[in-house]
Amino acid sequence: MDIVLRAFFAFVFVILVTRVIGRRELSSLEPFDLILLIVLGDLIQQGVTQSDYSFTGLVLAGGTFALLSVGVSYLVFRFRRVRPLFEPEPLILVEDGKLIERNLRRERLTVEEVAAAARLQQIPSLAEVRWAVLETGGKISFIPRSRG
Amino acid sequence: MRAELLARWTVLGLIAALAVAALLGLVGQSPRGTVAVGDAAELEVSAPTRLRGGVFFQARFTVDARAPVERPTLVLDPGWLESMHINTIEPAPTEEASRDGDLALTFSPLEPGDRLVVYMQFQVNPTNVGRRSADVGLYDGETLITSVERTVTVFP
Repeated sequence: MDIVLRAFFAFVFVILVTRVIGRRELSSLEPFDLILLIVLGDLIQQGVTQSDYSFTGLVLAGGTFALLSVGVSYLVFRFRRVRPLFEPEPLILVEDGKLIERNLRRERLTVEEVAAAARLQQIPSLAEVRWAVLETGGKISFIPRSRG
Repeated sequence: MRAELLARWTVLGLIAALAVAALLGLVGQSPRGTVAVGDAAELEVSAPTRLRGGVFFQARFTVDARAPVERPTLVLDPGWLESMHINTIEPAPTEEASRDGDLALTFSPLEPGDRLVVYMQFQVNPTNVGRRSADVGLYDGETLITSVERTVTVFP
């Protein structure tokens, strides 16, 4: 019984942690972030399975995670109001070439990082950006100003 | 496409059924109590009857004496010991012996009204799979007072 309950609370904890960590860390996966996520996964596994080495335990814990994952995706799909609990809303970082400082601070993003993300999409300057949006998954999408 | 969807929901249904079974304590680790009453004493055994490889668990044996018991002895079937780690027995028995392949643990004498509670802590060897007899007999020396019939099932 307890392994299913532990898996349930671990799942809730993972949702909370991913919401608190923020999109930037989850999408960029710098070496430190990667190690942090691996260590976190190991700690979660220990908390869920504890000393259980059985295949039954694996099926119970893994199955509970799978069921909760399907349940959450259904809730997000079915109920619009629930979405912000599990998925952050897209965030506008640049509008008509002007940085929205409040949103950058909120996601702990620097101007240099946004500019670097723009250059990766062959946009030389943020002044040429109509919209820059931090998407739910942590990637920044750019819509350039129409030329001419 | 329809068959794929059906297969997906079937697998999810099976997983959900297993999770519900686990929540109901059907796949291990929840303790179950068994009581047997004899002329000289009552024996209660509380321990899980379903286990999984690697898990720690406790067995508690409670003896309530109704008459003097000179050599209270708990005799455990091999199911308690086969591929199980015994981490501790408290209180420690005054005597340990093998009795026809069973484990016999003898404790200090009991007077009427005395209660003996023995705690044993175990861990299941991960390769231990199957169903075994886990009967417990309460003896006064070689004389049977009462016994409980139990089995233990270890899931893979």
